[in-house]
Amino acid sequence: MFARFWRSTSGLVAVVAVGFSLATLAIGFSAYEVTHEALEEQLDHRVANETAALLTEAHADGISDLADEIRLRESARSTASLEYLLLDSSGRTIAGSMIADSAVKEGYEEFFRYHRAGTRGVAQALATPVPGGMLVVAADRRDLIEIDHTLATLFMGALLAMLIAGISSAALIGLATQRRLERIETTAQAIMAGDFTRRVPRDGSGSEFDRLAGVVNQMLERIGSLVANLREVSGDVAHDLRTPLTRLHNSLDRALTETDAQVRTQRIEEARHQASELLEVFAAILRITEVEGMAATLPRPALDLSDLVEQMAENYRPNMEDSGHIFRTQIQPGLTLSGDRRLLKQAIANLLDNSLRHTPPGTQVTLGAERKEYSVCIIVSDDGPGVEPSELGRLLQRFARSERSRSTPGHGLGLALVAAIAAAHGGRAEVESNKGFRVTLTFPTAASQSWAAQTARQELGQPHEKA
Amino acid sequence: MRVLVVEDDADTSLFIAQGLREFGHEVVVAHNGRTGLEKAMGDAFDVLIVDRMLPELDGLALVRSLRGENSTTPILMLTAVAGIADRVEGLNAGTDDYLVKPFALSELTARIHALARRTSGRADPHRLILGDIVLDLHRRTVERAGRRILLQPREFALLAELMRNSHRVMTRTMLLERVWDFDFDPKTNLVETLVSRLRSKLNEGFERDPIETVRGAGYIMRVD
Repeated sequence: MFARFWRSTSGLVAVVAVGFSLATLAIGFSAYEVTHEALEEQLDHRVANETAALLTEAHADGISDLADEIRLRESARSTASLEYLLLDSSGRTIAGSMIADSAVKEGYEEFFRYHRAGTRGVAQALATPVPGGMLVVAADRRDLIEIDHTLATLFMGALLAMLIAGISSAALIGLATQRRLERIETTAQAIMAGDFTRRVPRDGSGSEFDRLAGVVNQMLERIGSLVANLREVSGDVAHDLRTPLTRLHNSLDRALTETDAQVRTQRIEEARHQASELLEVFAAILRITEVEGMAATLPRPALDLSDLVEQMAENYRPNMEDSGHIFRTQIQPGLTLSGDRRLLKQAIANLLDNSLRHTPPGTQVTLGAERKEYSVCIIVSDDGPGVEPSELGRLLQRFARSERSRSTPGHGLGLALVAAIAAAHGGRAEVESNKGFRVTLTFPTAASQSWAAQTARQELGQPHEKA
Repeated sequence: MRVLVVEDDADTSLFIAQGLREFGHEVVVAHNGRTGLEKAMGDAFDVLIVDRMLPELDGLALVRSLRGENSTTPILMLTAVAGIADRVEGLNAGTDDYLVKPFALSELTARIHALARRTSGRADPHRLILGDIVLDLHRRTVERAGRRILLQPREFALLAELMRNSHRVMTRTMLLERVWDFDFDPKTNLVETLVSRLRSKLNEGFERDPIETVRGAGYIMRVD
């Protein structure tokens, strides 16, 4: 119960307040002790001084002179709060108006009880033997007790004020925190109830709660876009896989009713081919999904991008030549990038695959890599027929195929994977089609975190634009 | 060859076991990670085939435990997902190769043959010799019957890989991984094109083609 209480903000503040109060108590107590001791010492000092003074003055003439001195001082009352008593050797009073309540012993007595003319008191006393008797000088403790009292009152007051302030601030801070968090709670509950458009209201103060609200909103945007994406993808998958599945179904149907063994085998072979193509589509979808989910965890060692792109050019040159394409490279030397080697290779491979498959012989295909101000780019371009401007926007999404590529085999997943790979590296893919077709992959370099953050914000804004 | 298959899915393990037995291998099957580990530790195997997702003890933990016991038996990991994360994690844990499900039996057998061979010792020699073909890895030269053959770097790498694994089937995917460093299958027939270029350079003026195409499986390089 207590453990749970002190985890709350009020509990935490209360614990701190109690801590401060205890500290106050400790400081007060020791201050009190030190002051008390000092005052007692001072009283002892006064008594000793006075005794010495009396003895010096009465040195020559003995005990009767001492009695005269005492009477003189008492009548003058020049030494406030000091009391005197002179006893003879049998204990009878010679001089001094106070009467001791107990027997007088030589030396210091801290609590010397006495009375005089109807008043009682406690004093600090020094009894000094003198020839023919005993001299007692006492200082009343009344002042000391009064100061003690004042000190104690002061400290108790401070302690009380501290406790009250602590407990009320605990309650207030707890309440304020709770009220601010309630806004987030309300939003979360609304979202759980199904209202995905709800966001935590912000007050624009830039306080920690305002920032938290901002981060939560960003997270909600991201989740929102992922959910929208998921809906879209499942729709696409269902739609685009129905056709090949139907074909597979029909092939198997025909095989079942086929009587000629040879034709039947052929039908089954056909079905097997269709099934393996379907598996390929699923593998591609899974890969895109995995790459998209890996953005945060993808290990990205630094690599020589120029070399990697050069290698990819070398990999594709034989096929480019064989298919009658004119293949050129424009690769700046010394480019580096932090990334996954094989995924980057796949992105470039997909782009070059597309160029090979969707452009006629004689088309010039250029693979390039260059440094920009805060980024490095991989560019694959061709001077082929290009695509309709209206198709450009959808091209990076799953199952998107331009009208011109309908006649060639493919599932429209290649560019989606390229876009996912770029995003997993904190970059982006852009498609253009002015003369021919051009895909640019832009990756921020390490020195441009702000650029990456900006891109991330732009991405977060996308779902609204779509809607 | 003795092969231990650790796979919880009954259909898959039966498919693998039957396929490997047809090749004359002895196959032991374990259906969960714990018994798989016990069998692997208690008995000697040439190759282990381990599924990534297993009940009781998952595949990665099994591999780590085995490697922790200084076992050097080659391990092929089967993964169900697209395999990017598994490629990184699995190789870190100590697997030697991985294969994404679903796979063709020919792919699996080619890979375990290559794996079993890889550990049969023998450091990489500088010169690979197969029949009348001599490939020098240091000087990066190829000669056939004493005649110098000029190859492009990629063609040289392909020939070296085929010669290193001579008399074994190398599948397209294996070649893509080892020669191109691709863990995906490009839509362009890079392998076929490069093999055909290599063939034409290698066989110019010779009767016999040492690179044989195994239909539906891959390529094999051999001398009779």
